[in-house]
Amino acid sequence: MIVGIALMLWAGWHNLRARRLAMQKAEENHVVLVPGAAGQPGQVEEGDEGEEPSLRGKVAPGFSLTTLDGKKVSLSDFKGKAVLVNFWATWCGPCKVEMPWFQEFQKEYAGQGLVILGLVDDVDAGKDTIAKVAQKAGVTYPILLADGKVQKAYGGVDVLPMSFYVDRNGVVVEETAGLGPKDEIEAHIKKAIASGGGATAAGGQ
Amino acid sequence: MRVRLAVAVLSLAFLGTSSGMRASQAGTLPMPPPSPKSYVLYVAEDHDVRAGRRTIVELRFRVANGFHVNSHTPRSELLIPTALTLDPATGVTEEAAEYPAGKSYTFSFDPSNKLDVYTGDFMVKVPVVASAGAHTIHGALHYQACDRAACYPPKDLVLQVIFTAR
Repeated sequence: MIVGIALMLWAGWHNLRARRLAMQKAEENHVVLVPGAAGQPGQVEEGDEGEEPSLRGKVAPGFSLTTLDGKKVSLSDFKGKAVLVNFWATWCGPCKVEMPWFQEFQKEYAGQGLVILGLVDDVDAGKDTIAKVAQKAGVTYPILLADGKVQKAYGGVDVLPMSFYVDRNGVVVEETAGLGPKDEIEAHIKKAIASGGGATAAGGQ
Repeated sequence: MRVRLAVAVLSLAFLGTSSGMRASQAGTLPMPPPSPKSYVLYVAEDHDVRAGRRTIVELRFRVANGFHVNSHTPRSELLIPTALTLDPATGVTEEAAEYPAGKSYTFSFDPSNKLDVYTGDFMVKVPVVASAGAHTIHGALHYQACDRAACYPPKDLVLQVIFTAR
């Protein structure tokens, strides 16, 4: 009951957050010191900053990474599929909230061509720890060990969770940073599944 | 003896060369370039102490508005504690840093998971014994920040604490 109410409140807040997200992102990245008088603390100001480059509408960067059990998995393995590329970390609370949702969606939409890949950002946590966190979240979709290069290819991934919804042609149709509502995630998945179905995967895939 | 704890504010990304840093104490810092991607600042402060005596150096930090960082003793081993590391400095004996208690915090989407965090201003105390003369302690604050719905990779806030003993 308490959890339900909390989730409702959070969902309402998230709509507001969606409007504020760009501003907040700018604020967090643009901290400016204003020199003070000698011996006095500096002041902190926050201001706007340009938006990060987006991959939306571009071919998803290809990658070939290792799973927890040592298998190689490449984005190109999933030509013709819709792929949700989700970056997460063991220390990231919001990431672990949405991972069970992804698991649900994997089961529900696998028949329609959805593949979910979880790319763990903090590989130094160790495979055992990563596996425990994934297991606790109920995840059975592939967990790939991000190699640093893939984070750079996807814009740096300086916010977690970060997800890229890749359509059947290998084009990023949506990208999100931070935890969003479950229904919004599902809408992005549907968009990726519905988009680009008539052509062969290209580019990174 | 008077030890003047001058200030080294922010990371080296803000400050440029160390030679430039000595001339860039509180009040004379140049405006930093944009996009620092720092969620914690190291705030300037002066101290007057006697030489050769154990002195608590108070290092003040400020978490950017709307963010939190894990305390030094987070409630889960998966979480990354805030931790200060200071390099040995000639003429200065440093003791282990003393951290403040954190505040209880929960993400609205996960109210059952209580966290222990720092928000706003917090202070780390470092007992030191300094000899006469000028001293610089190099160090870094390791932290990992989140806001209400997203988290950010761990960072090292590189800093220099500059003492002038009189």
